[in-house]
Amino acid sequence: MTPIKTTLLRMILILGLAVLLGGEAFFGYRLYKLSAEQEQIKEDYSLSNSITFGIFSVDEWRDKIAAIINPQIHDFTLSPEQKKAMQAQVEQALHGLVNKAVAKINKPQKTLGGKLKKLAFNSMVNTDDIQAQVPSFARTIIAKVSSPVSTNRLKDIASAKVGQLELQTYDSTAEANQQITRYVYGKYHVSNAADYDKVINSRLATIRTVTYNYAYAMLGCVLAALALWWLMRKQAHLQTILFVMSLVYALLLLLVGIGTAIVEVDARIRSLNFTLLGQKVDFENQVLFFQRKSLWGVVETLISQSKPDAIVVGSLILLFVIVLPVLRMIAKGIHIVSSKKFAGSGIVRYLAFEAAKWDMADVMVVGILMTYIGLNGILKSQLSSLNIHSGGLTTVTENNSSLQPGYIIFVGYVVYTAVLSAIFKRTMGDGQIRKKQYRRAAVVTS
Amino acid sequence: MVACLLLLLGCEGYFGYRLHVLSDQQEQIKKDYADVNNIAFGLLSVDEWRDQISGIINHQVKHFTLNAKQKGELQTEVQQIIYALINKAEALLNKKPKTLGGKIKKLAIKTFVNEDSIKAKVPALAKSIIAKIDNPENKNKLSTLAMGKFNQAQQSQHIDSSLTAKDSVMNKMYSKYHVSSPDELNNKLDSLLAGIRTTTYDCSFGMLGCVVIVLGFWWVLRKRVALHGTLFIMSLLFAFILLAVGLTASMIEVDCRIGSLDFVLLGEHAVFKNQVLFFQSKSILDVVEVLVKQPAVDSILVGIMILVFSILFPLMKLTSTGIHLLSKRKLAENRVIKYFAFQSGKWSMADVIVIAILMTYIGLNGLLDKQLASLNIKSDTLTLITTNNTALQPGYIIFISFVLFGLILSTILKSITPYDSH
Repeated sequence: MTPIKTTLLRMILILGLAVLLGGEAFFGYRLYKLSAEQEQIKEDYSLSNSITFGIFSVDEWRDKIAAIINPQIHDFTLSPEQKKAMQAQVEQALHGLVNKAVAKINKPQKTLGGKLKKLAFNSMVNTDDIQAQVPSFARTIIAKVSSPVSTNRLKDIASAKVGQLELQTYDSTAEANQQITRYVYGKYHVSNAADYDKVINSRLATIRTVTYNYAYAMLGCVLAALALWWLMRKQAHLQTILFVMSLVYALLLLLVGIGTAIVEVDARIRSLNFTLLGQKVDFENQVLFFQRKSLWGVVETLISQSKPDAIVVGSLILLFVIVLPVLRMIAKGIHIVSSKKFAGSGIVRYLAFEAAKWDMADVMVVGILMTYIGLNGILKSQLSSLNIHSGGLTTVTENNSSLQPGYIIFVGYVVYTAVLSAIFKRTMGDGQIRKKQYRRAAVVTS
Repeated sequence: MVACLLLLLGCEGYFGYRLHVLSDQQEQIKKDYADVNNIAFGLLSVDEWRDQISGIINHQVKHFTLNAKQKGELQTEVQQIIYALINKAEALLNKKPKTLGGKIKKLAIKTFVNEDSIKAKVPALAKSIIAKIDNPENKNKLSTLAMGKFNQAQQSQHIDSSLTAKDSVMNKMYSKYHVSSPDELNNKLDSLLAGIRTTTYDCSFGMLGCVVIVLGFWWVLRKRVALHGTLFIMSLLFAFILLAVGLTASMIEVDCRIGSLDFVLLGEHAVFKNQVLFFQSKSILDVVEVLVKQPAVDSILVGIMILVFSILFPLMKLTSTGIHLLSKRKLAENRVIKYFAFQSGKWSMADVIVIAILMTYIGLNGLLDKQLASLNIKSDTLTLITTNNTALQPGYIIFISFVLFGLILSTILKSITPYDSH
């Protein structure tokens, strides 16, 4: 092969890899941004739909119940049976009244005036006559009370009283809820709850598909790079470039995998409804619990605690899952590119070849999966115990927990590095490691 | 040296034992605490609501007032009725009487009774009727009546049984901790827990100190190749103790509660604080148990994986390290033995990671608080589900130390082994 041809080939290869790298970086960046946006939207959504401002809010209950009672008062009319029953009661009361009055007059009177009154009353008034008139008086009263004007007046009094009771029942959610609603509506430029739901759902749906596409595109770039390598496997002089470029690919994967969300936990009560006075009371989409975190978020949360044990754990994860993998990749790069002497230095060699035991990215992949499945299982069983279908009360719970694109990227990173280190050992590491081992063995035995 | 190490081992064993016992004790007390403060005895307790409701009845009946406008309307209503009655009576009288007596009666009434003056008295009459309804004495009577009804309703079977259940639990707690009131009980439990917490941390630091001293021995004796074998075997014993304590002592404590429930119901202020919804204190083995008992296959699988990573792998690792060091070359260079001795250690970290992520997802759940704070909303009086009391426990630290110690031991082994370690 002529030198010109080799140089040309090298240029083309670098160009191709650089384009792929650019693609991967672009996709990674977009993925990171979108994932952050998705997190923001979901956090806002879960805040405004939090159970604190729904089922746990006394204000909310009061409004729902008032909405049922007020029409009940407004539409109230006396049915014929009720009228009859009322009439009977009024009659009874009137009879009682008359009897009492008569008894009072008929009491033995001591004064002359009293005696005269009694005489006059007894001669003039026939008690039976009066008693006979009672039903007609009662009818008059009922007719008066149930006349539209009177009914309206009584209704007004009743609803005013209910209004007073409503005013005496409250908690502090109203103000907070108002503030939150104003905040989210302003942020998403909507004016009512239905629009808000629509905007959020459509945005989330588009972001979800797009993020997955970006994630697959990133992995596609990496696969293309690997394919290119496969094609060039015979060109020994190109191996160094290929390997260094691959390390940059891996680094990108790692960064995006750490920065984007890995697991989302979302438990809600989808609906709770029951019937009160023939009307449905409904609570929908009550977010019980929401969390969405990237690996970096996990570490950050742990380290920002005030408890020393959490900080220790956070730093361990930071060290073993983030710092060490990056260091190892850099060490591998140095080992390949730089001069013999530097490449052979203790730390670089240790990191490049021996530190696999401390590099826990693969353990992390398994750990995340285990956490996700375990958490999901526990949530599911806890939520299913909240599912009630008894009598008038129905609750339906929903568990929307899922693995997120960040996890796919992270798995991609781990697999990719495994492939890389296999290639590393086979192509270039092999001879050198052997040589070093023999040398060391010789030193030990001598 | 062996004597020194044995002494240390004894210390570590003692600390480990103390830690184990204390951790059990702590779990018990916390469980009692959670039981006493459980939502079933607070927000969902008939007892608590009885007081609230009797307050409400009292308030609503005794302080039932009509405002001026309502009174006015009611008065019009009463007046209308009285007018209607008077009109009716008049109509009756104005009917042509047939008998002589009737005629005389009519005449008498016509002369003596002035209709207009009666009608003029109606408003005053209506007012006095309303006042009669509205007077305090009547209201008192009504409220006593209502309370009587309420007390009657309370005697029902169901309410009684739930009250007895609560009483029996509380009495048991009182006699267990020698106290007599809920506040005293809570204070006592708090102080007990604080005491135990410091002692458990002292114990775990004692254990860690022992391990650090052993590593110090390695550093001091790094040139004395002859002693390495003994030192290594002793170190394995230390690791065993760490593992045993790490597995059985509680690791994570999940505490989910409603921080406060604060509202005004029909004029009565009701406050419920610290209602424990859910409390669990778990060691690794308990976590495995919980997962394996789930109905879903994948959860069971995860349970088994944790079991493998936290018990099987470490045991295999410790024994293979011993075998690698002590036995013949052929056995020592067996692939399985070598894998477990040198490479398997990091998989135990999977458990550490699982608990750490669980902790950040469940325990450090400050999402809502943070958002509310950023919107300048006071969250003290809002009804929030909080899990802020969820905490990592000493067992976790011990387990991490075991994993790290194991990894360091295998690095040491690599440098002292006479055989090929790759």
